Amino acid sequence: MTSHADHILVVDDDREIRQMVGDYLGKNGLRVSLAADGREMRAMLDTSDIDLIVLDVMMPGEDGLTLCRNLRAGRHRAVPVIMLTARDDATDRIIGLEMGADDYVIKPFSSRELLARITAVIRRARMLPPNLQVSEAARLIGFGQWKLDTTARHLLDESGTAYPLSGAEFRLLRVFVDHPQRVLSRDQLLNLTQGRDAELFDRSIDLLVSRLRQRLGDGAREQTYIKTVRSEGYVFSQPVVLIGDDA
Amino acid sequence: MSAASPGGTSRFLPRTLGARVLLILATGLLLAHALSFALLFYERAVATRSMMLTNLEQDIPLSVALLERLRPQERTEWLPRLERRTYRYLLRSARPGSPLSTERSRQVAGLIDEALQHRYGLRPRAVSTSPERYEVELTLADGQPLTIEVTPSLLPIARWLPWMLVAQIVLLLACAGLAVRLATRPLARLAEAAEQLDPARAGEPLPQHGSAEVAKAARALNALQQRVSAHVAERTQILAAISHDLQTPMTRMRLRLEAMAESPTRARLLDDIDHMSQLVREGVNFARSANVATGPAVRLDLASFLDSIVGDYEDMGKPVRRIDGDSAAVTTHPQVLRRVVQNLVDNALAYAGSAEVASRIDEGGVCIDVLDRGPGIPEDQREAVLQPFRRLEPSRGRSSGGTGLGLAIAQQLTQALAGRLQLSNREGGGLRVTVVLSETPAPTR
Repeated sequence: MTSHADHILVVDDDREIRQMVGDYLGKNGLRVSLAADGREMRAMLDTSDIDLIVLDVMMPGEDGLTLCRNLRAGRHRAVPVIMLTARDDATDRIIGLEMGADDYVIKPFSSRELLARITAVIRRARMLPPNLQVSEAARLIGFGQWKLDTTARHLLDESGTAYPLSGAEFRLLRVFVDHPQRVLSRDQLLNLTQGRDAELFDRSIDLLVSRLRQRLGDGAREQTYIKTVRSEGYVFSQPVVLIGDDA
Repeated sequence: MSAASPGGTSRFLPRTLGARVLLILATGLLLAHALSFALLFYERAVATRSMMLTNLEQDIPLSVALLERLRPQERTEWLPRLERRTYRYLLRSARPGSPLSTERSRQVAGLIDEALQHRYGLRPRAVSTSPERYEVELTLADGQPLTIEVTPSLLPIARWLPWMLVAQIVLLLACAGLAVRLATRPLARLAEAAEQLDPARAGEPLPQHGSAEVAKAARALNALQQRVSAHVAERTQILAAISHDLQTPMTRMRLRLEAMAESPTRARLLDDIDHMSQLVREGVNFARSANVATGPAVRLDLASFLDSIVGDYEDMGKPVRRIDGDSAAVTTHPQVLRRVVQNLVDNALAYAGSAEVASRIDEGGVCIDVLDRGPGIPEDQREAVLQPFRRLEPSRGRSSGGTGLGLAIAQQLTQALAGRLQLSNREGGGLRVTVVLSETPAPTR
């Protein structure tokens, strides 16, 4: 199911890449606009309705990371962003996600991969009920006896020992702490937790929840953190505190 | 006796510089000391003898003349007063004995004869050899026999003198030892510090104090270290720059190819681009692994850490299994350690198709094992596979998709964490790569 007329803005300083990406996306049923730099990007955002931005990190002048950060601070903060990064380096990825990107693609990428990411990110954005706002980028989120470090993607116990999470576990926990005290259906969880490389299936959400409970030291019986709501889904029952950047 | 000793130095010399210098100094000191004592004793013997002879020369004629004058009954009283350290007078005949045997005793007898102006017929004889003692008998004018009993001896040595000698030698040896230590310790420290130098990071410079020579060596070493790390940084930068610049044309190539109609050539070219980009990426990773940006170390729960890595592979549908083992909290840099384990797992997946991850604690420290059931690595090639761009051909060839950098990167990163990488054969076939993290965490800065 392709979303009709989703409007994609491709920002890359390399003319050929910009055009080839635009051509491919256009052929696959998307509406595409092109921008060579930050100035053109802002102009496009102001004049037309953009559903998603594909943003190159390495650009002369204002680089992609700066543009992304400014975007998140401005009027168009809700527009999803996919970064084109050069390096397969954990630090770069984390910086990109910290700056507010929704996903990233490593150069040299295949156009099919990019299209798949675009579809996934747009679907994810649609999935969020409008009254559910993504929590602001706080580095530490506290709940119960745990703190979640959203940059390093690990849990911290009271002694400060780190308990790393797998990608899927982190994404699921992130969805929960972003939406505390709210019943989330398996479908919603599945879509919000969909990772880059993993293809999760309906049943695997239950598996993932039990893995996450194990990480949190939460028994299926006690359900201190994650409660099962029969025939509806799951709810994160602990109050959540944004601790901020002090760590 | 097969070959010459290594290094060409004598087998009899001790191995350390300090011990050698100490040996030379001690030998010299002891010899010099012995020599000066020998000289002292010789001098003393000569002086004693000449003193004795002078005494004899002046004393004996006087004493004999005195005894001649005294009445026989008065003589006994006077004898103790005439007694000297090395000889005394006795109013009796000499005891039986042999003729004088030593040169010195004959000289003394001759001297006595001369001092008495040959007026008495002397009858010298040796009565004892140890201690050397001889008696010279003469007959006084009134017919009474008089014996001069000579016991030549050196002035006795004070009892404390040998102790003094020992004390002196001990003192000298202690001084020599201290001096050697003082001279060689900085050298040892310098060598130790040089061993710790890591060309990949600026690190702490060696302290440049101490004696002029040591400070100079430390300065030279620091300068060398700076040059080397500048060189390494430059190499890293070049590699990073090349890869950076390659990304754009490679992306273009890829997109262009993908826009083409499907054909076997297109598929093969896409494969080539994939391999190229992997090489470029690994090259950069390798260049950077020598100089990882570490940030602060974190106390890490090892079991959760490995669980999370294995979980990621499982979610990707890769056959990676977690084997339960010991857990521990280790203070380390999780990002770096994650890349080490991922590299090892990727390597196992590339060459064996599946991997197992375990942890254990043994006397060497905290160990992470990545195991596979692949062909393993022959013992003589284990060093080689840790070298960059080295692959075992043909079994570990390009067809299996490796770039030859996975293990080298893991090795460099492990070293950056102050750990070690060990390769061994797994019982039952396959390879076991062990990351040994030292119990004491890597320094934070």
